[in-house]
Amino acid sequence: MTRVERATESKPLDPHSADGDHLASLEAQLKEAIVEIAELRARDALKTQFLANISHDLRTPLTAVITHAEILRDGILGDLAPRQMESVRGIISGGRQLLNQVGEILTYARGAANQLTLVCTEFAIRETLEQVSTLNESLLKKKKLHLAVDVAADVPHIVADREKIAHVVGNLLGNAIEFTPTDGHIWLRARRGAGHDAECVVVEVADSGVGISPEHHDLIFREFAQVDSTPSRSHHGTGLGLTIARKLVELHNGRIWVESDLGEGSRFFFTVPFDQPE
Amino acid sequence: MASEQAHVLIVEDNELVTSAMAILFESADRRVSTAGTIAEALGVAARDPAKLVLLDLTLPDGDGLALVGPLLASGCGAVVALTGRDDPETRARCLEAGCVEVLVKPVPARELVSRSAVWLDG
Repeated sequence: MTRVERATESKPLDPHSADGDHLASLEAQLKEAIVEIAELRARDALKTQFLANISHDLRTPLTAVITHAEILRDGILGDLAPRQMESVRGIISGGRQLLNQVGEILTYARGAANQLTLVCTEFAIRETLEQVSTLNESLLKKKKLHLAVDVAADVPHIVADREKIAHVVGNLLGNAIEFTPTDGHIWLRARRGAGHDAECVVVEVADSGVGISPEHHDLIFREFAQVDSTPSRSHHGTGLGLTIARKLVELHNGRIWVESDLGEGSRFFFTVPFDQPE
Repeated sequence: MASEQAHVLIVEDNELVTSAMAILFESADRRVSTAGTIAEALGVAARDPAKLVLLDLTLPDGDGLALVGPLLASGCGAVVALTGRDDPETRARCLEAGCVEVLVKPVPARELVSRSAVWLDG
């Protein structure tokens, strides 16, 4: 890697002196660095485009797998024995899980290429929190987790991209479920912001789970980052959930952060302005 | 009787997807034609216009949406776009091209048949 060294003198330099030679060398290094940055950016854009293409192309064979399995499940080609049905249902839910992960990669790639746009409507954040919790009911039940939804009475309707806000809440709730042991608690809360956030709703997804050490609070919002990224890691996923959540929140001119410590549970917060500029 | 079955044309270049959809519609007592390219779809529509066309957008010989106008001009009843792209731009592009509906893959099997019935039985 090219390294541009810091000049130690600030006085004008004679191009024919030793300092002048140093200046010329610095300029050359700077030019090299600029070219290198441009090349890296171009490669990064290619990588993003590749991710977008591959995730789109993966949807087609997945569609075939899921549809063929649904044909069997729905008895269109005859009734199945209970054990066969169980197996077919496994194919469908595995296929849908994979489809969701492919969808996350596609959303990430489009976000990285600034191809995501907001489709805003007016809605109550309470409905979104309740919808997302309903969608996760079976997972919550499976781990015997207790979920409470609490929205302050003075939170107004917001104008935002409902689907994308639900996506953010879904990713945060998915993490809370993943990282909270059996019989734990999860809270979905919304309240009016204060101070700088006075014109925003503050949404909180909190859990009584394993918590995150403060030195990892920045890392977890970075793309592909997982606190434990070793091959034997106990938690799975694309490592994109929080990166996507941050991108979608920032698209709304909001911000996202976490308050947590190991063994203390986690509280994720994000803000959404009441309204979006035209 | 076969001649009374409503005709659905599936335009899709992935044979695994086509075969799944053909099973679905044949089981729902529909007559099914399939095409894997724009050229094949135009050939089928000219010989035997379908009441409903299910159209994939990415075809080996071009953009599936370029087919919508010619299919309707050949006497096909309605064109429904089936796409892997779940974004507002794609949706708008499909509707502007003349599709009556945009469905995002994978559409649950039963839902695909029941949504299609609106156009096949209408």
